[in-house]
Amino acid sequence: MRSPSKAQKIKNKKSKTKMASLTSTTAAAVAGPARRRSLTVRASATSVKLSGRPLKVAVVGGGPAGGAAAETLAKGGVETILIERKLDNCKPCGGAIPLCMVDEFSLPLDLIDRRVTKMKMISPSNVAVDIGRTLGPDEYIGMVRREVLDDYLRSRAKAAGAEVVNGLFLKFDAPQERNGPYRIHYNHYDGVKGERGERRTIEVDAVVGADGANSRVAKEMGAGDYEYAIAFQERVRIPEEKMEYYRERAEMYVGDDVSPDFYGWVFPKCDHVAVGTGTVTHKADIKKFQAATRLRARDKIEGGKIIRVEAHPIPEHPRPKRVSDRVTLVGDAAGYVTKCSGEGIYFAAKSGRMCAEAIVEGSANGTRLIDESDLRKYLEKFDKLYWPTYKVLDVLQKVFYRSNAAREAFVEMCADEYVQKMTFDSYLYKRVVPGNPLDDIRLAVNTIGSLVRASALTREMKKITL
Amino acid sequence: MASFSPPLSSTLPTSLNRAHFSRRNWLCFIQKRNQSLFLAKSTENGAGSVSSIATEEKQESSPVAVAGKKEEGAKKAESLSLNGTASVKAEVPSFKDERWVGGTWDLKQFQKGGKTDWDAVIDAEVRRRKWLQDNPEASSNNEPVVFDTSIIPWWQWIKRFHLPEAELLNGRAAMIGFFMAYFVDSLTGAGLVDQMGNFFCKTLLFVAVVGVLFVRKNEDIENIKKLIEESTFYDKQWQATWQDENSPGNSGKN
Repeated sequence: MRSPSKAQKIKNKKSKTKMASLTSTTAAAVAGPARRRSLTVRASATSVKLSGRPLKVAVVGGGPAGGAAAETLAKGGVETILIERKLDNCKPCGGAIPLCMVDEFSLPLDLIDRRVTKMKMISPSNVAVDIGRTLGPDEYIGMVRREVLDDYLRSRAKAAGAEVVNGLFLKFDAPQERNGPYRIHYNHYDGVKGERGERRTIEVDAVVGADGANSRVAKEMGAGDYEYAIAFQERVRIPEEKMEYYRERAEMYVGDDVSPDFYGWVFPKCDHVAVGTGTVTHKADIKKFQAATRLRARDKIEGGKIIRVEAHPIPEHPRPKRVSDRVTLVGDAAGYVTKCSGEGIYFAAKSGRMCAEAIVEGSANGTRLIDESDLRKYLEKFDKLYWPTYKVLDVLQKVFYRSNAAREAFVEMCADEYVQKMTFDSYLYKRVVPGNPLDDIRLAVNTIGSLVRASALTREMKKITL
Repeated sequence: MASFSPPLSSTLPTSLNRAHFSRRNWLCFIQKRNQSLFLAKSTENGAGSVSSIATEEKQESSPVAVAGKKEEGAKKAESLSLNGTASVKAEVPSFKDERWVGGTWDLKQFQKGGKTDWDAVIDAEVRRRKWLQDNPEASSNNEPVVFDTSIIPWWQWIKRFHLPEAELLNGRAAMIGFFMAYFVDSLTGAGLVDQMGNFFCKTLLFVAVVGVLFVRKNEDIENIKKLIEESTFYDKQWQATWQDENSPGNSGKN
């Protein structure tokens, strides 16, 4: 189809020049809700002062989002209870964290199993491009084991004063009166005999839903549904010589055979690799895509043994409603996963922290009751800070994951040093930095050139039969 | 689009029969340890018709479950059963062409009259991509693919792809322009020069040019509508949580 690609080209060109002036225009545009905000009358300064007790908040879910939220809440003087259903959970996950997360959350370096400094992008016709030449000696993508990271963040929350409870959240009862408590029902497992656990209730002033893609809190509060991708992954233990190749290298395979709207990956873990793929639109064919991914990586994982198979949903966009009265969502439960790369750990932890900061501030360190406007402040802050990142990745996905032709162009573009530098800058530090405008124009021209060539070849491909 | 029955099997297009053949060189042969597949070689200057017969080889169930059991493996034991047993070479035919050397096209073999025949390079790459689309291959570190389409000079792309299209579109624009100019002249009496001075006519001209550029097939109208909707869809999803606030208007996030 020629016209769509032409329209895409124009859109792409706009987006490339847009990237250059992204900060200015989107900052102005994004101030929209903020301007609206100042007109509302409700102010937390006039909210009820709690007498004799601090604000009590329940954080449901003990992953990165829950752990970060609980720690910040506890540090801010709020009485926090963190409810996690499985304290040794190995959540199926790519496990990649950007550099800024290590800094912002003061993660100890021994948490990171591997430092990926090279990535290989492989196109549908196996054109392989190495990216990572522009990385400095101290720059890397950290690969972590989720069970290790989650446990560490929870232990920090506990050290700050949060109560960590092993339990399964069931439901909550909405408050009877305006400033009344939420009553949470959960199955308590800690030190209780038998598998069922003991049904308990507690009363809290606010609930933070950090329980992941299948969030129960979201269901309880009527947050609505989102589209999600299925990520399917196999952990493969490969021979030592082959593992050497993956010591600092991750691979990304694109192609219709591997996934119609996402990518297949080989990520190194502590002593094995994770081979996986994902899709939104063709979930029923996920096994086929996985087989295709294994085929593409065949020579490099030959002789490997599958030690674990896992799958998990990944949200594609935020839920329609992320806050309702004094209940709010953070992390995957809210749907903060980027398009194109599918990154979620950093945004989960950051949103947990930002939500907790908003609660601490709105409650004046736990002395006053909060209300919905305080939680909306967190949403506003998060949306404003990260909207450019999400939008740019969305545009990239729409343009480059569209078809095999676009994917070929994508891999070709990745060979360009400027692209590599911009990509890593925006991934590692989460900032969309406008570069030199001349370079941007050259990049736009090259991108359009790649897309045009690739789609021209694809049109020819349709004409022939082998 | 490649589609495979799970798990990956060496599915090949069945009963290919090449009736037409271009003047390009193209040499492709497939090795197979089992007798079920062969492809005849075509010769140089070949207007030979090549036929190939392929049969499918059905793989049985998912490789995960297969761990260790595939010993009737004269055929299979395909490397998908990653369980440490000796992996036999998979029965997927791989792309072979004598001009594909070291992961890229050897331009010296495309010489025609002392200069590189870029058209032939384009054709060869098209064939390679088509082959790989139908039969994905494992990417290899020993023979990495390093071909970049930008080695083909820009004027070749223009000559081959852009010019025919441009001719078509210019032809359409000219026909529309002539007819509309005549039609407007007959209605209003304004000649071509007078029409160009009129704002409304200039707008019509702009619309006609844009229309010819963007609407080339019937489906394009739908595609453009979908594209416009798509470009703002993500924004709407993000703003959904602000909609239930009782504030008027829509937030301009983008």
